[in-house]
Amino acid sequence: MIKVKNLYHSYSRDERYAVKDVSFEIEKGEIFGFLGPSGAGKSTTQGILSGLLRLQKGEVTVAGYNVKKISNKMFNQIGMSFEQSNVYNKLTARENLAFYRKLFDVETRDPDELLELVGLADKAKVKAGEFSKGMKHRLTFARSMINNPSIWFLDEPTTGLDPAIAATIKDIIWDQKKREVTTFLTTHNMFIADELCNRVAFIVDGEVRLIDSPRSLKLQYGSRFVDIEYIGGNGLVKESLSTVDDKDRARIKHIIDNNEIQTMHTKEATLEEIFIKVTGRGLI
Amino acid sequence: MKLWYSFLKELQLSSKGFYFYIEILMALIMLVVVLFVIPENFDKRSTEYIYVGLPKPASEAMLGKLLDSDTDGIVESVTIKVKDEELSTDYYESDESKVYLAKSESDLIKLADSKKQPGVAISLDEAGSLHYKYYLQGYESQKLKNLYMVSASKDLASLQEGINGQEVRSMSGDYEVLSDRANTIPALLTFNGSFMGMFIIAAYIFLDKSAGIIKAYAVTASTVWQYLMSKVLVITLTTIITSLIVVIPALGGKPDYPLLLLFLVTTGFFASALGLLVSSFFKSLNQSFNAIFVLIIAMMLPSIAYFIPSWEPFWIRFIPSYPILQGFREIILDNGDASYVLFASLGFFVAGSLLFIWSNHRHKGLLTA
Ligand SMILES: Nc1ncnc2c1ncn2[C@@H]1O[C@H](COP(=O)(O)OP(=O)(O)O)[C@@H](O)[C@H]1O
Ligand SMILES: [Mg+2]
Repeated sequence: MIKVKNLYHSYSRDERYAVKDVSFEIEKGEIFGFLGPSGAGKSTTQGILSGLLRLQKGEVTVAGYNVKKISNKMFNQIGMSFEQSNVYNKLTARENLAFYRKLFDVETRDPDELLELVGLADKAKVKAGEFSKGMKHRLTFARSMINNPSIWFLDEPTTGLDPAIAATIKDIIWDQKKREVTTFLTTHNMFIADELCNRVAFIVDGEVRLIDSPRSLKLQYGSRFVDIEYIGGNGLVKESLSTVDDKDRARIKHIIDNNEIQTMHTKEATLEEIFIKVTGRGLI
Repeated sequence: MKLWYSFLKELQLSSKGFYFYIEILMALIMLVVVLFVIPENFDKRSTEYIYVGLPKPASEAMLGKLLDSDTDGIVESVTIKVKDEELSTDYYESDESKVYLAKSESDLIKLADSKKQPGVAISLDEAGSLHYKYYLQGYESQKLKNLYMVSASKDLASLQEGINGQEVRSMSGDYEVLSDRANTIPALLTFNGSFMGMFIIAAYIFLDKSAGIIKAYAVTASTVWQYLMSKVLVITLTTIITSLIVVIPALGGKPDYPLLLLFLVTTGFFASALGLLVSSFFKSLNQSFNAIFVLIIAMMLPSIAYFIPSWEPFWIRFIPSYPILQGFREIILDNGDASYVLFASLGFFVAGSLLFIWSNHRHKGLLTA
């Protein structure tokens, strides 16, 4: 559904690239996570893919359309949720959606149904200008679904939302996946990415460092550990041992056989830990 | 259809925004000014510099007439300083004019030159008829020159009447002069429609830009031109409403309304397309302020020329607000030149379309960056 080949972008139109030689492909119905710290070039990439930024260098096809010669018809299939919410402050939540749906040629969803979905049903008649940041963000997110998009761009859909609402958003995305919606998900929330994404790309300083499924990444990079607490000769002892290393495995066996175990946890490396391991960078 | 919905939405937005009410308020203020502050006609006594080089009987008859109309019946001797020279003149003051009588033709030239006012030398030629010699500044409009010719004929007539006691009909014909009140309306309409239209559409665009709304619009199946046109339509509608608020109470049935509507639409379209173009060159209202300011000043020059007939340089005709002003004038005049208005409308429509296409092209690439 989405093909990106050797994509470059420079805001200053020189050698200072915000996005550098990025290539990837996204299959139909896939949720593709674009992960990286802020300033990595995630929104820039999404901007080019959605035609908001002019393609400078590289090849991009979205739903069969070459992004260089973008057609308005293409947007009938595309939904886009923005990092910074951008709704008409002077219109109510319902008016915002009611106007927006008129701008598409395809069947659209009922504004009230969408407001219900994101938990804004009781705010339908309130002007968006009176909304909190999180509420505006949810309205922007709801709007992105109004034309039943088959390709969905989500820029930080859960950032700034409280955990309960973030979970709701996560469920909605999961639901859309069941409908074969192809999703380009930009985030620095590794838990969301871990749970939702078929594949993730790690992006740092405009460059994609790695693309793989979260599961495969964990198998490759996340050597598993066991934290063991037991009563030794001098009281409580705590050890952290690998479950793959032979020496550690023997040690675990020895402890279990000879000591009284207090607690024992297996610990999987998180996507975040893998990200740091691969890129040498944190996510903030 | 999308254009229609966008238009309705823009209308809804503008009715909730404050620019719309500012415009209505401005129109009401203009109306109040026109109706209650501007008198039907200004008290504008002209200042005239005259040299009378006539044989004694004729000049006495003329000066006698001047003295008759003098408000206090006394001739004052006034000394006027010109550069380093002091020129003494006789000063007559009537209800209509202030007349300085120069002692010689060379004095007259010096006075006219330093005061930047036209001077008149009156003499008798060999055939015994009066001869008027006007000393002008060189930038007067043809209209004013024509006016001098007409008024000279009138003076000649009244002078002859004084000397010979013969009845002579005035030569000034069907040249309709608008009252001062009506005369200010074209300038107000130009200000209201063109300046406000240009400024406010740019303000709307920048407002949307800063709120990121344009990005949301850009990822729909609607086009940029529909977005821009919906704004143009709202601005034009506002212009029509506010213009009528001023025109109907102030002028009643005098203007040619179908022609007025046509002209408001075409000039409003032109001005808003210009505003769109300006806004495509800047990121924010603040950044565009200088450009808009310069444009507004340039557009105001024809209004200045409009009120000061003695200042009308040739190039001023090429500033769009010149034909806008003249067009509104023709619409208000009873025997206005409808073909001028139609022709100007066509011109503004074509120019506006070109500007619109250009700004659409620019905005397409820029709205989102
Ligand atoms: N409009 C812009 N003009 C200039 N530079 C920009 C603009 N938007 C983003 N950048 C720069 O490009 C880089 C990538 O930004 P962005 O794509 O927004 O990152 P992310 O979405 O991953 O946080 C950053 O260095 C940012 O400062
Ligand atoms: Mg971003």
